[in-house]
Amino acid sequence: MSTVATQNFVPVAELKAAKGRSLWQDAFRRLRHEKVAMISLAIIIAYLVMAALCAAGLLFTNYNVTDHGAAYLPPGAGHWMGTDIFGRDVMARAAHGTITSLIVGFFGAALAVVIGTVMGAISGYFGGVIDELIVWFYTTVDTIPYILLVVAFSFVVGPGLSTLCLAIGLTSWIGHCRIVRSEFMKHRDREYVHGATALGAGHARRIFVHILPNVFHLVLINFSLGFVTAVKSEVILSYLGLGVAAGTPSWGMMISDAKLELAREVWWGLAAATFFMFFLVLAFTLFNDALRDALDPKLKSR
Amino acid sequence: MLTRFLVIFSASLFLSYCTRGSKVSENSIQFPMKMNLSSLDPAQASNEATNEVGPNINETLLQYNYLKRPLTVEPLLAATMPTVSKDGLVHTFKIKPGVRFHDDAAFKDGKGRELVAADFIYAWKRLADPKSKSEGWWIFDGKIKGFNEWRDKLTKGEATYETAIEGLQTPDDHTIVITLSKPYYQLYYVLTMIYSSPVPKEAVDKYGAEFLNHPVGTGPFVFVNWIRGNKVVLKRNPTYHGSLYPSAGEPGDQEAGLLADAGKPLPFVDELIFHEVPEDQPRWLNMMRGNFDISEIPKDSFDGAVGPDKELKADMKAKGFELKKYKVQEVVYMGINMDDPVLGKNRNLRTALCYAYDQKTPIERFYNGRAIVAHSMIGPDMDGYDESFKLPCKEYSLEKAKEYLKKAGFPDGKGLEPIEYSFPTSATGRQFGEYVQEQFGKIGVKTVLTGNSWPQFQDRLRNKKAQMFGIAWGADYPDAENMMQLLYGPNVSPGPNSANFKNKEFDKLYEEASKMPPGEARTVAYKKMRDIFAAELPWIPTVHRLGFQLSHGWVENLKPNKTLPNPFKYMKVNLEKKKALKAKL
Repeated sequence: MSTVATQNFVPVAELKAAKGRSLWQDAFRRLRHEKVAMISLAIIIAYLVMAALCAAGLLFTNYNVTDHGAAYLPPGAGHWMGTDIFGRDVMARAAHGTITSLIVGFFGAALAVVIGTVMGAISGYFGGVIDELIVWFYTTVDTIPYILLVVAFSFVVGPGLSTLCLAIGLTSWIGHCRIVRSEFMKHRDREYVHGATALGAGHARRIFVHILPNVFHLVLINFSLGFVTAVKSEVILSYLGLGVAAGTPSWGMMISDAKLELAREVWWGLAAATFFMFFLVLAFTLFNDALRDALDPKLKSR
Repeated sequence: MLTRFLVIFSASLFLSYCTRGSKVSENSIQFPMKMNLSSLDPAQASNEATNEVGPNINETLLQYNYLKRPLTVEPLLAATMPTVSKDGLVHTFKIKPGVRFHDDAAFKDGKGRELVAADFIYAWKRLADPKSKSEGWWIFDGKIKGFNEWRDKLTKGEATYETAIEGLQTPDDHTIVITLSKPYYQLYYVLTMIYSSPVPKEAVDKYGAEFLNHPVGTGPFVFVNWIRGNKVVLKRNPTYHGSLYPSAGEPGDQEAGLLADAGKPLPFVDELIFHEVPEDQPRWLNMMRGNFDISEIPKDSFDGAVGPDKELKADMKAKGFELKKYKVQEVVYMGINMDDPVLGKNRNLRTALCYAYDQKTPIERFYNGRAIVAHSMIGPDMDGYDESFKLPCKEYSLEKAKEYLKKAGFPDGKGLEPIEYSFPTSATGRQFGEYVQEQFGKIGVKTVLTGNSWPQFQDRLRNKKAQMFGIAWGADYPDAENMMQLLYGPNVSPGPNSANFKNKEFDKLYEEASKMPPGEARTVAYKKMRDIFAAELPWIPTVHRLGFQLSHGWVENLKPNKTLPNPFKYMKVNLEKKKALKAKL
């Protein structure tokens, strides 16, 4: 008996060393070692910096300068990615398109995550009639194909950057809501929650202070997944003419222009928009993957 | 009213297409239609495809002369032009005797019977009958004495097709007397539209709901079959009453070889085949292979086929292709909501915007040079159109634009709220919007662009929500009245006057002109209306587009016009040339 007990005994010094690394710190430590994740993060940061510089008017200031004599110039020294129908620099427009994409990606995904988390938390935590109602509601909304729903929403509210964020946010929270709901169902009967109840914590405290931090890694992962979806939705909607107001640089609109231009062998508009979108979406997706692995306790041994 | 807006968003399914396997006479015309055909019932002819196929089967009292421009009306099923009472309200038509319907199982012994006046009245009553789902009632709505009353009674079940109408009398089998409730000089134009063609009651009774698949008429071609989504086949009518190729045309027609067949009986070809090909690419490739005889040039293939001089490229010419350019009776414009407190009340501001808009770039970029500058609301080759008339502000001048902007009270655009410009969403529509934004920006006027779906766009116009809007109007008939009604006071939104233009003098002239027969006095009135338009500027007219028709060298007697409904009976195939040219393709 005594030998067994000795084997299970962990010296105090070791315990102290292991202490102080929360789930988050642990995740970040592991993320740092993932090369792909770090490169992806660097790309994302580069996009953010570029968008910020563009928005501040420090980079690609010529994005709206027209020159009708220089329409459809192929890529060359003056214009690295050529010019469009009005002689505007395609590269500058693609770079400015990043602003639109990042804004829509961030606010669209943030809105979806907030709605999804609150609905999922309430539904999973309370159960019963409230749960049934919320499940009924999101199941109903979920029967409508996502893109159709977004399109219908844009139709009703009209195009524009803010409605685009709203449309995407209000229509893409369901998947996240389901996950949060199931997590809350799992957690609400855990001992630490019962402990909190015994100490006199109210519903709100139990939900937001005790349970939510334990499922927050899911929120983070879903946010960054939602970000990619929102960026892609923006491109699709702008392509369909339901996205941002005409005149605002947007990748979707550049691709929409390209469908006409390709017949006259103008390929650079499509190439530029695709190039910019490809690396942003790829970086986010790879980073997501690494983030999920890092936050998954089951993969801790790696 | 039948609105044929030319800004069309086309998204169609890919159509698998095959021309092989079917034996077709060499002496035939194969024509690709851009739209799918939905019905061959003349009462349901609001669709472009029905208007292409239908007039070859079903004929009308009147038609347009094939060669004369502007289009002039001449008798077709009528023996002569009608006689008109002094007050202009009673029109008496004599029908050509001996005209027979196509042979059809609907008739006794399968032999087509003679066309009588009652067939017209029956067909027109069908237009009024809600049960026949007709889209053509507008051609007679409120125009013929007692017709609307009959329609109301029919709907309530108090009248039948046998109940007589005061304004539509048939004293004998070959006479129709139309009594109008008010002057309606467009009557002759609507009587060239396929809506007004006679249909035999026997066929409608026999086929019932299937009548839209079994058209029976008096035309130069007989319906053979229609494979939905694929093609319609028509063959020459052996008992055709024989309308003749016009014996006189315009100056230049003789030289163009358009009078070689003068006075000969129509039609010239044995078969007419209409293919339903909504996609640009298969239509173009089949045209290139010689499977189709006539086609338009898709915008995207334009640069490949036509050189910068707007003539066919040498390799196309070598293959025997021919290009015909023609004016289209339409106008593209930027409408201004005259009820808008800023734009609507400030003529100087409108003038400034008009001066600031450079027309040159869009004609090159958007129309491949296939458009001319519009100076008024009247389309080319229409009564009242005057090539020498120039709208001063269509001459691009930033200086003048700035001057007028200053006069308008907004020097360099200061103090002016951004102008809202609505357009129907499509890539091209948006590019237009961006161009407008850029042009106005040059004088300091900011523009907010609102892209809309077609229903949204119409909704904005109907509810006067748009400040400025980009739109086009194609004429239903070659009368400027069809354009003028877009600016007639009582027609304001939700009516067709989307600019909400109200001008007492204009309205008075419109009403007076509607009581005038076509002629000099009416043309003068139209020109006066145009001058009011030019002074008030409720629109900024942009362009009149040009039609470019491509054909193979073996097709003869081509003189394209979008409004003329029945060009196919005049077309001829030169079989020797066809053999020689086909070998080159």
